[in-house]
Amino acid sequence: MNPINTFVPIIQGLKITLGHLFKKPVTLQYPDERPKVAARFRGLHALNVSHNKAKCVACYLCPTVCPAKCITVEAGEDASHDKFAAVYEIDMLRCIFCGYCVEACPVDAIRMTGEFELANYNRKDFVYSKERLLEKK
Amino acid sequence: MVNLTIDDKQVTAPKTATIYEAAKLNGINIPILCHDKKLKPFGACRMCLVEVEQMKGRQIPACTTPVTEGMIIRTSTPDIVKARKMVLELLLLNHPIDCPVCDKAGDCDLQNLTYEYKVNANRFTDEKFHHEIDYNNPLIERDMNRCVLCGKCARICDEIVSFGALTFISRGIETKIGCEFDEALNCEFCGSCVSVCPVGSLLARPFKFKARFWSLTKQKTICGYCGTGCNLTLGVKDNKVLTTIYDENQGFHNGQLCCRGRFGYQFINSEKRLTKPLVRKNGNLVEAGWDEALDLVAARLKGAGAAAAAIATARLTNEELVLFKQLMETAGSNNYDHSAGYAHAALTEGFASSFGVAASPSSILDIQKSELLLVIKTDAYETHPVVGFEINMAVKNKGVLLKILSDKSGKLSKLPDAKTLIHTPGTETTIINSLAKVILDNKLADASAALIPGYDELEKALADFTPEAVSAQCGLSAVEIKQLASAYAKADKALIIFPVGQAYPGHTAALANAIANLALLAGKLGKEGSGVLCLSEKNNSQGAVDMGFQTADGLNANQILDGCASKTIKTLLIAGENPMVSYPDHAKVAAALDRLEFLVVSEIFLTETAAMADVVLPVCSFAEKEGTFTATDRRVQHIKPAIKKTAQSRSDFEILGALIKKLGGIAPTAPASVFAEIASSVPGYAGMSYVSLGEEGQFATVAVKPAFVVPQAPLAKSETGKLALVIGSALYHNGTLSQYGEGPMHVCPEGYVELSRADAAALNFAENDLLTVSSAGGSMVLKARISSRIPQGVVFAPYHFGSNPVNQIWNGAAVTWVTLTK
Repeated sequence: MNPINTFVPIIQGLKITLGHLFKKPVTLQYPDERPKVAARFRGLHALNVSHNKAKCVACYLCPTVCPAKCITVEAGEDASHDKFAAVYEIDMLRCIFCGYCVEACPVDAIRMTGEFELANYNRKDFVYSKERLLEKK
Repeated sequence: MVNLTIDDKQVTAPKTATIYEAAKLNGINIPILCHDKKLKPFGACRMCLVEVEQMKGRQIPACTTPVTEGMIIRTSTPDIVKARKMVLELLLLNHPIDCPVCDKAGDCDLQNLTYEYKVNANRFTDEKFHHEIDYNNPLIERDMNRCVLCGKCARICDEIVSFGALTFISRGIETKIGCEFDEALNCEFCGSCVSVCPVGSLLARPFKFKARFWSLTKQKTICGYCGTGCNLTLGVKDNKVLTTIYDENQGFHNGQLCCRGRFGYQFINSEKRLTKPLVRKNGNLVEAGWDEALDLVAARLKGAGAAAAAIATARLTNEELVLFKQLMETAGSNNYDHSAGYAHAALTEGFASSFGVAASPSSILDIQKSELLLVIKTDAYETHPVVGFEINMAVKNKGVLLKILSDKSGKLSKLPDAKTLIHTPGTETTIINSLAKVILDNKLADASAALIPGYDELEKALADFTPEAVSAQCGLSAVEIKQLASAYAKADKALIIFPVGQAYPGHTAALANAIANLALLAGKLGKEGSGVLCLSEKNNSQGAVDMGFQTADGLNANQILDGCASKTIKTLLIAGENPMVSYPDHAKVAAALDRLEFLVVSEIFLTETAAMADVVLPVCSFAEKEGTFTATDRRVQHIKPAIKKTAQSRSDFEILGALIKKLGGIAPTAPASVFAEIASSVPGYAGMSYVSLGEEGQFATVAVKPAFVVPQAPLAKSETGKLALVIGSALYHNGTLSQYGEGPMHVCPEGYVELSRADAAALNFAENDLLTVSSAGGSMVLKARISSRIPQGVVFAPYHFGSNPVNQIWNGAAVTWVTLTK
């Protein structure tokens, strides 16, 4: 056995370890420290608002394209005979955050936010209603 | 047949075909927007441009150009694709492209073609239209901003529906489809225009924003209203029937439907439906379990014998009617009937004695093949609107002569060259006898007639029916009768059509005999496009007749009610009928049901009759069960469930089977096995099975053994100073079921009394006045409708409505004499 072949790699490894002691740590001290989410991160959905109402016109393209079948839309007719989403629900337990809904939307009514803390105590709390999804200002 | 080449393919096509039809026949698809196979070629959209080599490569419309021998056609050269793209670009120039909020998306011809031809950008710019959207009626929304001016709506309304509500108005770029004077749409709301609209200009409002087209499951079935037997496609989502879907290849009627068929489906998923069995305890109906309810019924039926009776609606399937018979026989009773007993006497007694078979010898398909149609009562259009469309097409497209004998004029009277003879109400039989007399006297009778049994007796019996003798009584001149008789006799092919039903007590067995005599005398039977067609009222009326759901040794519906009143009948089973509203003489029905010991009603809704029952069983609608319906022309059609049974409801088939088992009998397990039994035992149904019925259905054969039967013509009585009330069917309704369909109720929500302008002026009544209508039997309040179609001295009232049932003043007479006061 060649001592050089045995000890050199160990020393090299220790050098890297030693070097990290003096570098900024990679580990995030969550929840004391918050991660910086990338702009294209696909987290909780938000319904975009324009002129003080949801942009969604209940065209049903997002529930149609959704591979997880987690979106429920029910259209309603408002006083001026226009179409709006009377019900808009996303079941976050089923959602796979693929972003197809955003891609399919013809009126830019839905986007995905950086919100990723979706834990809850009850199953029903994972079903996000329209009110909870409307973008916060 | 001519030979031609389409896209390098050698094909043959009929001489009369257009290029489009020839291509379609040979599996080559040419895009269209304005063409419909039911309508005459129009050539408005220019999507179907093709190149014909013989025409020096010019682009010509395929939908209007007839084929010729040796034509060499190309349907998709780069030049044609370019031209079609241009057409789409120009259409999209003014189209709002609001597909996300347009209900047509997914089923839109313009959208599909835009996608197919990849029209992603537009080289032109122009302003969009800003037409006002017509929301004035609850059934059809008209958004002319989306219109591509194909004209299909206007053409179908004219060519098939013959209403003419829509047409092109204005000129040039401002051209649009509009109603008269650009006002709101107010028509008969059959929705034909909605069905053919290639874009989202015309939409069904009851379905507005309910679901996307692609998310619907399409289930083909048969309409559950009248006896025409129209095929229907139901659009289902989440176990709910949300709409009816147009399919131009469905049924003899090519997908055409009437108001109730297209818009009257909401009763299937109505919130008013019964969900659980109800049992009367301490005077109140309370919810109970199925076992409890069925045990109660079975205990009453066990050994009941003739003290038990049954009345069924002709909306049950053939299989259910057979099972119902079996149940009553197990209980030891042969008292069962349908349709108030008298409603189909024209078939069961009239045709049975004249033709030896209780069915019409002709079919609906004969209408367009005929040369002369004789319609008894313009109500044939109201009772069977899709048969009415066939008459419209026969008259308008095929030049068939239309003669009408009626107590009032109606929509059919407005057809080109239609001749309506308006007679005194209740004298139909007399007039038909007189027509036969004219044929005999003028030697117009067919040579075969003298050989038919009963000829001599008929000749004798008709002696008193010379036109001169009957003219005063009937309110027609002798000349009119003679002209009609000779026109009928001289026509090569002539078809007599008359509706029957609970609202037409005057259309009796005698009338059917008289009509049969007339057809036999003139030799009009056994030829295509010729004969007699009796329009049975409900979707399975003919089936109920065929299944023999009434026996000569049992009581009929009227006798059953008498039996209830005299307490000889103690237990009555009513399936789907609502005698409190639809049977004559409200007081009599109420008293009879009141005196019953035990009333069982199986119903979809808690109707006026069900509310009186001791046990109410919730049953499912036609959309939830399997079975067969026999249409008026004996077309047997198979229905399959579109949705699962709602709540705890069960089909009549299951209920009757369970009761038979409880009584110790052996109940068949599936409708198919009962149908096998029907096929082997019912005359004319031999060889049928669910598989052989397929989607088109099969005609049960009608073997006619003709005989002349002397009809008893009722003497028309009149009362001076009173008006003749005739009961009938409203266009938007059929029986009492359509009251639970939202569409028909939007258009015609309540009963009314229709009277002539002359009478209204004389009595000083205005439209919508509340009038007290009094007959010898009672009085009631109805809204006045004043119309020009009613002759002086006659008033008309429809019979469908539970909110103001006309049977309060009507005791089943063909003509009721009434006075009107404000």
